[in-house]
Amino acid sequence: MLAKTLPEIGGMGHPIKRKEDLRFIQGKGNYIDDVQLPGMIYGHMVRSPYAHARITAIRTEEAKKLPGVLAVITGEDLAKANLAWMPTLFHDKQMVLATGKVLFQSQEVAFVVAEDRYTAADAADLVEIDYEELPVLIDPHKSQDSDAPILREDREEKSNLIFHWEVGDRAATDQAMKSAPVTAKVNAFFPRCHPAPLETCGCVIDFNSATGKLTAWITSQAPHAHRTVFALVAGLPEQNIRVISPDIGGGFGNKVPVYPGYVCAAVAALTVGRPVKWIETRSENLQSTGFARDYHMEAELAADKEGRLKALRVKTLADHGAFNAAAQPTKFPAGLFSICTGSYDFSSAFCEVDGVYTNKAPGGIAYRCSFRVTEAAYLIERAMDVLAQELKLDPVELRRKNFIPPEKFPYSSPLGWSYDSGNYQGALDLALERIGYNDLRKEQAEKRERGELMGIGISSFTEIVGAGPSHTFDILGLKMFDSAELRVHPTGKAIMRMGTKSQGQGHETTYAQIVAQELGIPAADVAIEEGDTDTAPYGLGTYASRSTPTSGAAAALAARKVREKARKIAAHLLEVSEEDLEWEPGKFSVKGAPGKSKTIQEIAFAAYTNFPQGMEPGLEAVHYYDPPNLTFPFGTYIAVVDIDKGTGEVKVRRFVAVDDCGNIINPMIVEGQVHGGLTEGLAIAFMQEISYDESGNIQGGTFMDYLVPTAVETPHWETGHTCTPSPHHPFGAKGVGESPNVGSPAAFVNAVVDALSHLGVKHIDMPLSPWKIWQILKDKGVTQ
Amino acid sequence: MAIKIEKSFQAPEPAADVWKILSDPRSVASCVPGAQVTEAVDEKTYRGVIKVKLGPTLTDYKGQAHIERLDDQNREIEIVGKGQDVRGKGSASMKMTGKVRELPAGGSEVITISELNVVGILAQMGNRMIQEVANQMFEQFTKNLRQRLQQQASGAVGSGPPEEVKPIDAGSVAVSAVRGLFKSKPKE
Repeated sequence: MLAKTLPEIGGMGHPIKRKEDLRFIQGKGNYIDDVQLPGMIYGHMVRSPYAHARITAIRTEEAKKLPGVLAVITGEDLAKANLAWMPTLFHDKQMVLATGKVLFQSQEVAFVVAEDRYTAADAADLVEIDYEELPVLIDPHKSQDSDAPILREDREEKSNLIFHWEVGDRAATDQAMKSAPVTAKVNAFFPRCHPAPLETCGCVIDFNSATGKLTAWITSQAPHAHRTVFALVAGLPEQNIRVISPDIGGGFGNKVPVYPGYVCAAVAALTVGRPVKWIETRSENLQSTGFARDYHMEAELAADKEGRLKALRVKTLADHGAFNAAAQPTKFPAGLFSICTGSYDFSSAFCEVDGVYTNKAPGGIAYRCSFRVTEAAYLIERAMDVLAQELKLDPVELRRKNFIPPEKFPYSSPLGWSYDSGNYQGALDLALERIGYNDLRKEQAEKRERGELMGIGISSFTEIVGAGPSHTFDILGLKMFDSAELRVHPTGKAIMRMGTKSQGQGHETTYAQIVAQELGIPAADVAIEEGDTDTAPYGLGTYASRSTPTSGAAAALAARKVREKARKIAAHLLEVSEEDLEWEPGKFSVKGAPGKSKTIQEIAFAAYTNFPQGMEPGLEAVHYYDPPNLTFPFGTYIAVVDIDKGTGEVKVRRFVAVDDCGNIINPMIVEGQVHGGLTEGLAIAFMQEISYDESGNIQGGTFMDYLVPTAVETPHWETGHTCTPSPHHPFGAKGVGESPNVGSPAAFVNAVVDALSHLGVKHIDMPLSPWKIWQILKDKGVTQ
Repeated sequence: MAIKIEKSFQAPEPAADVWKILSDPRSVASCVPGAQVTEAVDEKTYRGVIKVKLGPTLTDYKGQAHIERLDDQNREIEIVGKGQDVRGKGSASMKMTGKVRELPAGGSEVITISELNVVGILAQMGNRMIQEVANQMFEQFTKNLRQRLQQQASGAVGSGPPEEVKPIDAGSVAVSAVRGLFKSKPKE
């Protein structure tokens, strides 16, 4: 554990209240839709009703006639400027506005610009488009069939296969599978879900024709990367592009990609010569922007009769929709899915993934997830329970037997990762103790006797976050480092600008606490700024739990650079040599003479007023941090559920979440993150799915069908922590934002399957709706 | 979104009278709320429009219907229709089989089986909603057909220009869908 600073300094470990909440709770945040510019006009998107159709004609005359309409932009118009297509973040391109044909329902076809929002929406209704329907491809399993329609006519390969990716030792794994006395297999579908952030996506784009400067307020989790993409796609000089991410109302990966609306608004601003605002409706957000998961997975485990694991074999079909718009590191087509060996010590493993196109919205973004780790964690934790059932072993026992032991760290996984640190047993033990596991098993046995349905589900997951080291991690060639620029003012107050961007994570508080910890400047005195590419240092943004592992590290290292300069100034002021000084948070003292000291505030003043001759004035530092490795947070979650036999409704009676994210910056914020992530995990497990009917109509494209949990559905969360610091991170932190969303779905599903396991149920795909459970109960003769 | 809808109703008029209307696409169209035949391509193929209003969404389907089978002997008709919304909101296609049979106690029964496929904005409302729209449309259709039968009996049919097309307003669909949930089911 780190030494704790005084509460008035508020360094790491202090549960100080979030600075940003002062403005949020007073309604004084500044979100995209709050941005108002003189002469601003509005855009509205015309979208395709078809999943796959050829466009034979677009008539815009009626729309243009409506008073107040300024322009109607179509794909043909964009094509003239070579902007009808744009690159995705993953080796593919996507249509900005459709030309030729549409590939998914709700695809962008035309962009109407008008004096006000209502006129723009009315005019969008007047754009007439003739379509010729084409056969649709909805089931990814049929994408390789000989009679499947080829969706992407623009590609050279006439196939719906995007990629085939494999990792691990196929031969050794096959051999281990063949010779193992026990094997277990599970086919688990992780349904297509959507982050559904409270604030939808949007932008305001302003082009100043006098200066040639384009200013873009965008709901962006990665403003710097967006600026570079804008420069490359539009061919504008990068110094003339300023991307500003103001306050963002939740991102969860949904606001990483560049969306057609941003490009259309920019084109409209350039052509009409006035600032353009475009804000998505709720349905547009759900139906067309980055979805997550949609992984059809199969896992096979090989073990000996005692339940010691031998091998893991995984085969997965990834549905990417019409364009591969996954936002993930360039070298990893299936992201970090190869973390699927989880917390367990395997001697061999093999994993293969096929990515395919279908007539669905594009994406494959990491929804509160470090690039497919959620799918991986769900799969292995589900498979472990299936094996336990096969072996008639308690799932706790099976896990205990196979955990990577603490002494084996750093651990090299058979799929190529080097886990930094872990104590899986410790987290499991604490969770079992908190929930009272043995008593619950007794209660379950008694209830079964009486015909009542109760289940206990365990998930001992491992994360892989903090992307990432430059030797393997980049997005569009941009290495995944991140940055901090710290400037201490003469009065000892400071400002620090970051390459990341908070969407509600509380960066203004936590980064300030890091500076407080390293320099002893009170957290209250450190202002944090993010999201303006004209002022912030370059960085890859906030997603994949990477802010603390990358920018957090950069903050600490920038502060340490400042401290080293402060030491020189202190030595000058105290007239001693640097070696004679000792540091405690907030001041340098002369060794052996405790009364002789200079505070960081005094030193800061001297940096501008009384610095040594020959020294560069000022007190500031910048650090770009290239992490040496990823970090591997982990934990054990246990859910207890009761199932109503009559209705199939599942009630989560208790949920204990023990997380280990290394050293904690702000325990209150960590708890908030865990609560939020668990609530999202609950929604995914029980309520949410974006499915499509056989014609490609979206089922779940509004909040009528895509359910968001409220306080009524959300159970009480019990949280706990163990602490295993990361050995390579400057202050031993690992990142926590995603763990609850990564680890909880398996705990919920394992609990429900456990409640029904005596009936022969081995697996149920999410979402576990009352209807689905009730049908199983009916099948098994438990209910009428 | 494919939906199969089976409906039947009884009328006091003899089967022959009902069949007279049901076997003539123009007469059928005049009973379908929001529908109008605009052009006869040949004696088995007709072009027309149908307007459906669901909440704020007005869908204006334009398309054609073709009589696949017309069996005067058994009083059976099979119509295949397909339409696209003029503003590009989606399409709908339907295969409808209609049958009229004499009832032993007099009067007749009309049985229809429709296979409906809806693509686009309307289909996003989900099949519960579409089912309810279909229910309302059929209810209205039945009412109109009865009225027409009565008019036919009193000899008031066949003159005058075609009526202005009024869309079926399914705005109250949600209310009736909810009501449907609470309808008591017949005891077994």
